[in-house]
Amino acid sequence: MARRHHYKRRTKDAHELDVTTFLNLMVVLVPFLLITAVFSRLTIVELNLPSSTGGASSAEEGFRVEVIVREAGIEITNGKSVIASIPNQDDEFDLETLSDFMVELKREYPEHDAASVLMEAHIPYDYLIQVMDIVRSVEVPMDGEEQYELYALFSEISVGDAP
Amino acid sequence: MNLTSLMDVFTILVFFLLVNSGSVELVEAPKDVKLPESRVETKPRETVVIFVSREDVLVQGKIVARVADILEDQAATIDPITARLAELRENIVGPSTMAVAASQEVTILADKAVPFVVIRKIMSTCTGEGYENVSLAVIQKPSQVAAS
Repeated sequence: MARRHHYKRRTKDAHELDVTTFLNLMVVLVPFLLITAVFSRLTIVELNLPSSTGGASSAEEGFRVEVIVREAGIEITNGKSVIASIPNQDDEFDLETLSDFMVELKREYPEHDAASVLMEAHIPYDYLIQVMDIVRSVEVPMDGEEQYELYALFSEISVGDAP
Repeated sequence: MNLTSLMDVFTILVFFLLVNSGSVELVEAPKDVKLPESRVETKPRETVVIFVSREDVLVQGKIVARVADILEDQAATIDPITARLAELRENIVGPSTMAVAASQEVTILADKAVPFVVIRKIMSTCTGEGYENVSLAVIQKPSQVAAS
């Protein structure tokens, strides 16, 4: 009798789809895809390298922005003489001041796009990327809003050893 | 038990994740290498990949040198990397290795803490070997700029 009852019930709601197998598949697929999903996006910084045999010296004529990262601080030169030097604050590079200087320099020389980042040997590579970020662009808050606007500064960056 | 809503959620999730994983990463960052963050938006291309972790340097997945040795060495270029790059150019097996060899580009995935001189030496080794375009891989930092 019990069997008959069971059979009856099944015929009654036979319209409903049996989704159990599909659900099993989903339950397996969702965690699998979640684990393999990559959420951090990898991007690349393209470099402007001095060509192979060490012609890194800035023998070019005219004005050239150079940011020299030393262990004691950051110096900005125009290729010949030091324009500004930014000492470290609490053993950290003062990147905000550097950003301000870069904005000033871009304002003075709006037609220049080239800049060099020169680093001393034992500075961690992370600072190279941070300084390049600052030299390349600046984020300016828009007045009265919480949004920021991105301005390109010196977009062609070369990398080299500090003199 | 009514599973319809759960099914909806799962179906949407599965499709989202499938589409998301469809854009396969060309270069995958290894777990022990902590890449720096930057605002750049350039997508990685299929190139020769050089990993620089805190201890070792890997060119296309093969350990070729140690960071400590590079630091001690006074030479401007790193011979094992030169040899490995030359080997890569000769060993063309399939379409993907051919694309890598033909790209004449190098992507360096380096740990944050690696001293600059190591990166500098690797870069000059690459340019010396004819790979003129060198890129540095970074993790994209969420920009504060609203999409407009």
